[in-house]
Amino acid sequence: MDGPAIEAEGLVRVFKKTRAVDGIDLVVESGEIYGFLGPNGAGKSTTVHMLTTLLPPTAGTARVNGYDVVHQGPQVRSSIGAALQEAALDPLLTGREHLRLQASLQGMPHDIRRRRADELLHRVGLSEAGDRKVKTYSGGMKRRLDLALALVHSPRILFLDEPTTGLDIQSRTALWDEVGRLTRDDGVTVFLTTQYLEEADVLADRVGIIDHGHIVAEGTPDELKASVGRPTVEVVPLDAGEHERAAAIIARFGDPCGSEHGVAVRLRSSEADLAGIVRALDAENLKVEQLQLHQPSLDDVFLAKTGRSLEGAAEEEEGERGGLAMEPA
Amino acid sequence: MKTLAVARGVAWRTLHNVFTNPSLLIPSIVFPLFFFTAFAGGLSRIRDVPGFDYPLGYTSFQFVFVLLQSAAFGGVFTGFGIARDFEGGFARRLLLAAPHRSGIVLGYGIAALVRWFFTATVLTVVALAVGMNVGGSGVDLVGLYVLAVIMNVAALLWACGVAMRFRTLQAGPVMQFPVFIVLFFAPVYVPLGLLRGWIHSIAVVNPVTRVVEAGRGFLAGSPTEVGFAFGAGLALVLGFSLWAFRGLRKAEAAG
Repeated sequence: MDGPAIEAEGLVRVFKKTRAVDGIDLVVESGEIYGFLGPNGAGKSTTVHMLTTLLPPTAGTARVNGYDVVHQGPQVRSSIGAALQEAALDPLLTGREHLRLQASLQGMPHDIRRRRADELLHRVGLSEAGDRKVKTYSGGMKRRLDLALALVHSPRILFLDEPTTGLDIQSRTALWDEVGRLTRDDGVTVFLTTQYLEEADVLADRVGIIDHGHIVAEGTPDELKASVGRPTVEVVPLDAGEHERAAAIIARFGDPCGSEHGVAVRLRSSEADLAGIVRALDAENLKVEQLQLHQPSLDDVFLAKTGRSLEGAAEEEEGERGGLAMEPA
Repeated sequence: MKTLAVARGVAWRTLHNVFTNPSLLIPSIVFPLFFFTAFAGGLSRIRDVPGFDYPLGYTSFQFVFVLLQSAAFGGVFTGFGIARDFEGGFARRLLLAAPHRSGIVLGYGIAALVRWFFTATVLTVVALAVGMNVGGSGVDLVGLYVLAVIMNVAALLWACGVAMRFRTLQAGPVMQFPVFIVLFFAPVYVPLGLLRGWIHSIAVVNPVTRVVEAGRGFLAGSPTEVGFAFGAGLALVLGFSLWAFRGLRKAEAAG
């Protein structure tokens, strides 16, 4: 396919009086993992629903795999796979039956359905549980099945809406590995929404940060972090009485900032200053218990762009929503 | 072709769930049998009432109504399943996976029909076993069962439209009640000529009356009001098709 995998221009979705998505422009290139990061209620899922043709936009246009999401819905749906926030599975069907149903909905021939189901169950580690009813599955197993279902017809573009929410660290890492493999080996484009900073940081080639329906920042994780923050260095002296002296030494390299256990500065230039700090501490004969370099995080980016931290924003959004669904889950 | 593939998938899944879960299968068989035995057995002396002129007896008279009722409620029960799919989120999977979404409605329709054929088979076998008389020819009987199929499809499309607009099982009474009302405002227990007062006035204008009368005519081998019955049935199917597909558009718009 020529051109970007996903393109949106001025995408808007209004629910009664709420503008859940308020004029989003984005371009996702073929073969990249695009992380859509934001707190609950920021408009991530609504955007995914519009891009996957589950929800018509109130205004704006979007093309997925070259097809218009409003006027070419069948073509869009044939070329994408999606695992939404809540794994919508039938508790009365087995994992294998789900896969065969999904293949049937996509019009795949009978013999290929069976083979594909076996292959995908193996890939997501559900071969043994494949003939058990889904009502006996754990949350992690349901997520893995959901991912397998999204891959049944070998889509070129995969939408994953908060795929690791509620998963333990082992399941989360396994899913990250699989997503990475899909992009690396199969060239699949992945549009991933998440509220986990680490997930966006580890997985995404590029990240779009969304808040209150707007994209407030976009770029590679490194670009975003570099755009707003400088690394900090934290020093914990061996002798608690040496805090002031330590603070004075490291203040030559940056602006003092808060530290829970010792003293810290935000470096004026780059992490190359770390060597200078070590030399200065040594020259002053100050013994240290800990010396740590902290890189800025995507949360710092969110903080810089919105004035709130991502975790705080999530709680605030929950409070604002007051338990009422402002957008589909 | 893709629409048919979607329809086949949706129908398979609905039927798989019905036929592998006794809690879903048994009520759809037991209720018509219960109505049939209760009405035909408990009210059998109605055959002796002056003016009861159905030639095959009261069991056959009741069979036709219960057959049509099972067809209509078979469609409504499938509507419950659609509402359950929306409430539980599975419908979203179907909307997302199906390239051609009209196949979803078609699939539910096929499932409703197959499910009702099973019920109708059991009901017919039981009715014949308890001595139901049949006066009509094979062609007449085909006419009776085709009328029932039309009732099934019309009720399914009605319930489907409701389910896709409300997208919750709480809409169950909205699906069920109008069907219940039009069925029971037809001549259920006695022929139309024996009804008196307001119920007679309503039954005369109720299109389902014509369908029931035509069905009884088919079973007796003396078809009456066939054109009107099929016309009314097909008009209902056409009207409710528009209702159901507009419901699908509303469900799509709601996401």
